[in-house]
Amino acid sequence: MPGLRTEFRELINEQFEFRELLYQMTSRDLLLRYKQTAMGFAWALLTPILNTVVFSVVFMRVAPVDTPVPYPLFAYCGLLAWNFTASALRFAVTSLTGNTNLVTKVYFPREIFPFAAVAVSLVDYAVAASVLVGMMAWYHIGSLASLAFLPAVLVVHIAFTTALALLLAMANLFYRDVKYLFEVVLTFWMFASAIVYPVDAVHGTLGVLIRANPMTAIVDAYRHVLLYGTAPDLLPFASAAALGLLLLPTAWLAFHRSEFRFAENI
Amino acid sequence: MAGAMVVFDHVWKEFARGERHDSLRDLVPSLFRRVTGRREADAGARDAFWALQDVSFEVHAGEALGIIGRNGAGKSTILKLLTRILKPTRGTRRLSGRTGALIEVAAGFHPDLTGRENVYLQGAIMGMRRAEITAHFDEIVSFAGLEPFIDTPVKRYSSGMNARLGFSIAAHLDPDVLLIDEVLAVGDMAFQKKCQSRMKQFRAKGVAIVFVSHHLPAVARLCNHVLLLEGGRPLHLGTPGDVIAAYCRGTGASGCGEVAIAAALRANRRAGVDAFEIEPGERLTLDVTLQFHLDVERASVGIVVWDLARELYVYGASSDCIGIPVLHARRGESRQYTFSFDANLTRGLYALEVNVVDLARHRMVGLARRIRHFQVLEQVSYDGVANLYLTGREVSALSVSGPPLEALAR
Repeated sequence: MPGLRTEFRELINEQFEFRELLYQMTSRDLLLRYKQTAMGFAWALLTPILNTVVFSVVFMRVAPVDTPVPYPLFAYCGLLAWNFTASALRFAVTSLTGNTNLVTKVYFPREIFPFAAVAVSLVDYAVAASVLVGMMAWYHIGSLASLAFLPAVLVVHIAFTTALALLLAMANLFYRDVKYLFEVVLTFWMFASAIVYPVDAVHGTLGVLIRANPMTAIVDAYRHVLLYGTAPDLLPFASAAALGLLLLPTAWLAFHRSEFRFAENI
Repeated sequence: MAGAMVVFDHVWKEFARGERHDSLRDLVPSLFRRVTGRREADAGARDAFWALQDVSFEVHAGEALGIIGRNGAGKSTILKLLTRILKPTRGTRRLSGRTGALIEVAAGFHPDLTGRENVYLQGAIMGMRRAEITAHFDEIVSFAGLEPFIDTPVKRYSSGMNARLGFSIAAHLDPDVLLIDEVLAVGDMAFQKKCQSRMKQFRAKGVAIVFVSHHLPAVARLCNHVLLLEGGRPLHLGTPGDVIAAYCRGTGASGCGEVAIAAALRANRRAGVDAFEIEPGERLTLDVTLQFHLDVERASVGIVVWDLARELYVYGASSDCIGIPVLHARRGESRQYTFSFDANLTRGLYALEVNVVDLARHRMVGLARRIRHFQVLEQVSYDGVANLYLTGREVSALSVSGPPLEALAR
């Protein structure tokens, strides 16, 4: 399909042309957070740490679960990955509607908004990952060999998140209900993914459903690569990878094709 | 001539009128209706109107097209189509090279960021690279006159400072095509002058310009073509003088009262032309025909010169004050007059008004505003309205008797 190929080439060229803007938008959001809040980047660390403390109390004292590695490490790794997706999507969902002025008045590729949302969360992700490294050192857990798979896991995770960010930003522009619906779904989705409990602990139909969730596969892949010192489980990870890498171009194309309707509909 | 930089080819643009589906609450019932085949209640959604109808123009390098028209005529729609924010419903539009837009020049500013940070952000929104912004940074700031405040958050700026900074960034773009919306009205007189000379520099450098404005003298000064829109339709495309005159006639030429007024304007050598382009100081003659639909005992005919751009009453005089006997006419009669005056005016666009006043009843019985127009062209542009023919020479080398300098110093 040569038509589709040229369309993609244009998309990527345009994005490359405006790379400066993506950088500026991302640094704007980071800078603003640093200026407007007393703790700045510390929030990037504090959210997953506090969540880990809460879940550690619940799953170590109240209703203990068996995990292959110490529970705090297990939970922090999951929450870290989950927080990246959740916060990227939370920023992305209002990224177009919160910039009405720019969307209706000035032209540039609109993908910049959801992309910047993902990029900002990615910076937080990197900051918060430093704590994970510290914890791994403390517990003496982790192997160098399996780290080779980390880039692949990251690519799939980012692609999947970016695709959803594009779709959500666009959907919320046309239907403002999306933002509220999204908040509800996000909470539900976190517990439907094996973030704070091991997926093996769930059996039956529920277990099957949770395993079918791509976030379960992605989070589990991180744990395999970082904590268990093994390669990701092939089938679930390959399915998540196929989904993410297929969804991203589809979402991007859908976004681009409806872009010219944004100014009229916002 | 090499291909046009901007091509607008038979462009139509349709908009939906009224509220569209904004939430799922509206979507769900409408989907339901669609499924159940009940369409009648959906009629409101199809209420559309044409914001632009069959508009075509081209702008070549070094040319400037002005677009004028009343509010709602479709001017902003054209700009949004040119900036690619909107897509035409029918027809095509094409721009070559790098496009710069002086539209909403401060749209990307964030109040919590400093002027410096906003320059980089807004520059990137306009498509500039960081190196490019850094290279022009000092110029941008000094053009805006904001050196002392550049590290202050823009939320502490006045609206004028905001607009000046935004314009200044845009003014340092290096575009092939420049789209300008009503932005020249920012800042004080000095800043506006700077902006206007900047626009002229762009044009001289070979940039193709599209300029949308209500500020007619600015359009007349900058543009070599003007497009007049009305209700989304192109009404006139031609030289600034012709089109601006047509626009002014359309907006204010309505004669009213019980005296019908017709007038023709002549200059020394030329006659019968609609919109005049004259030299400053040229003598103009206005032939006026009055048709009475009432009886008047004592009346006078008044002539008023308006500066169209500044909405300024420049000069007014009437037949009785120049010694023409008062007018006495019966219903159905007509009268002819001829008036002459020296157009000692500066560069600009002027309109003539003719009125008839019943002196006995102190009442205006006939009025034709903007019945004729003329444009004063000159190479040098003086400030103000009246041309007082300033002359002078340097006399310091000659020994003339004047006040000694010490006296001046005191």
